[in-house]
Amino acid sequence: MSARRSTRRALAAAAALVVAATGCGTFPKDSEGTLDRVRGGTLVVGVSEHEPWTSVGPGDEVSGSEAALVEGFAESLGAEIEWEVGPESILADEVKRGQVDIVIGGLTSVSPWKSDISLTRPYTKVKSEDGKQQKMVMGVPKGENAFQVALERYLAEQEGEIR
Amino acid sequence: MTSNSQTAAGSGHDALPDKQSEIMRKAIRLEWISIAIVAAVITMVGLVMGQSQAMRVAWVEDILALLPPIAFLVATRVIRRGPSRDHPYGHHRAIGVGHLVSAVALFAMGALLLVDSAIGLLMVDKPPIGMTVLFGHAIWAGWPMVAAMLVAVPPMVVLGRMKLKLSEELHDKVLFADADMLKADWMTGLATVVGVLGIGMGLWWADAAAAIAVSASIVKDGVTNVRAAVTGLTDARAKTHDDKGPHPLTVEVEEKAREVPWVKEARARVRDEGHVFHVEMFVVPLLGMDPTPAQIVELRTTLEDLDWKVHDVVVAVVDELRPEQVPAD
Repeated sequence: MSARRSTRRALAAAAALVVAATGCGTFPKDSEGTLDRVRGGTLVVGVSEHEPWTSVGPGDEVSGSEAALVEGFAESLGAEIEWEVGPESILADEVKRGQVDIVIGGLTSVSPWKSDISLTRPYTKVKSEDGKQQKMVMGVPKGENAFQVALERYLAEQEGEIR
Repeated sequence: MTSNSQTAAGSGHDALPDKQSEIMRKAIRLEWISIAIVAAVITMVGLVMGQSQAMRVAWVEDILALLPPIAFLVATRVIRRGPSRDHPYGHHRAIGVGHLVSAVALFAMGALLLVDSAIGLLMVDKPPIGMTVLFGHAIWAGWPMVAAMLVAVPPMVVLGRMKLKLSEELHDKVLFADADMLKADWMTGLATVVGVLGIGMGLWWADAAAAIAVSASIVKDGVTNVRAAVTGLTDARAKTHDDKGPHPLTVEVEEKAREVPWVKEARARVRDEGHVFHVEMFVVPLLGMDPTPAQIVELRTTLEDLDWKVHDVVVAVVDELRPEQVPAD
């Protein structure tokens, strides 16, 4: 039957596409090349203060558990960090416009900024005061999938999820 | 001077002939299997779906693929009831209603997804697909999506082809719509794979473009089926199971009636009740050869014996064929 043959041909084409896609270097790629730009360059990190994840000192020096994680990530890429302190709403918008690469500040998987920025897969889970489980995430630009995977991989390694 | 023969829908006549009953049983079994497989696919795709628009559209299409089998199973239950005083034509039209319901759902869903995907493209909504951990290994979440789509395609294609064959033998348009939808599913699967791989290659628009292509095909399916279902329900001339042309029986009954010695002219109105046809045969007798009731009954029986689909025949003896009553070609 011709329909069956065309189906088989289509499946073969799909298989070829998969092979081609895996064959040609890194997968996934960024749509704007964020990872390539950051590597050996500058990582712009947006920080909104949210103890104990992030805290901002009087001289705008940033600390906290998420700040430490991001510092480690920047180091793994050989990048310098440029901190950008501000409220979540403004940082989310800056991520969307590509001015900030990562936003941290105790974001959870139910963050209202979900439609503007991409939330990483949860790197850890904590119990909040009212006993609900919260999944901690960071925010990155949408479509920068190589960058997102690099960050997620680093976070998973730090949390001992993968080696 | 019209004389109607008594209606043909008596006991036994309402049931499908043995061969068709057997096919019907097969079709019912196939639809249950189909529902089970589609449900498994929905679960699988839902688990790996992520934020890809194309995946979401494909997932919704899989859910929609449940509608025709459900419509078919409900309709086959309803048509088992014979005609009654309140339902003098029987319940075969339930097939047409089922067809219309699933067609409208198909169209509405397709239109919704089309608009949604187009907005995503216009708003430059770049789909993020990150990493996932599978058995302690980090892999890109796009791979499970691609795998799920490729696994889902073959069973859909096979089911579609099996149903297509049964729909022709049964003259069942719900089954045909169902088969047609499943057959189109491999394109959906493939478009989705292309969309996800496109995202992986940094082409953010590939996903939305694939989603638009897939939803456009759903809309097309919807329009085709709504049109076919409405045509059937508004008593259009009976068509073949795939709605490609007039059913050959619409001509054959007229030819058969003209072979009868006392018949001068014969023309029929044939409508599709779903599976079976309802025939109103208008005959003009030759001058001086007015038929007896027995001759009229004989004509009716002859027509009914032509094919199992000729289910309910009414013969009307008239003095002339009025075009406003029985239009000619």
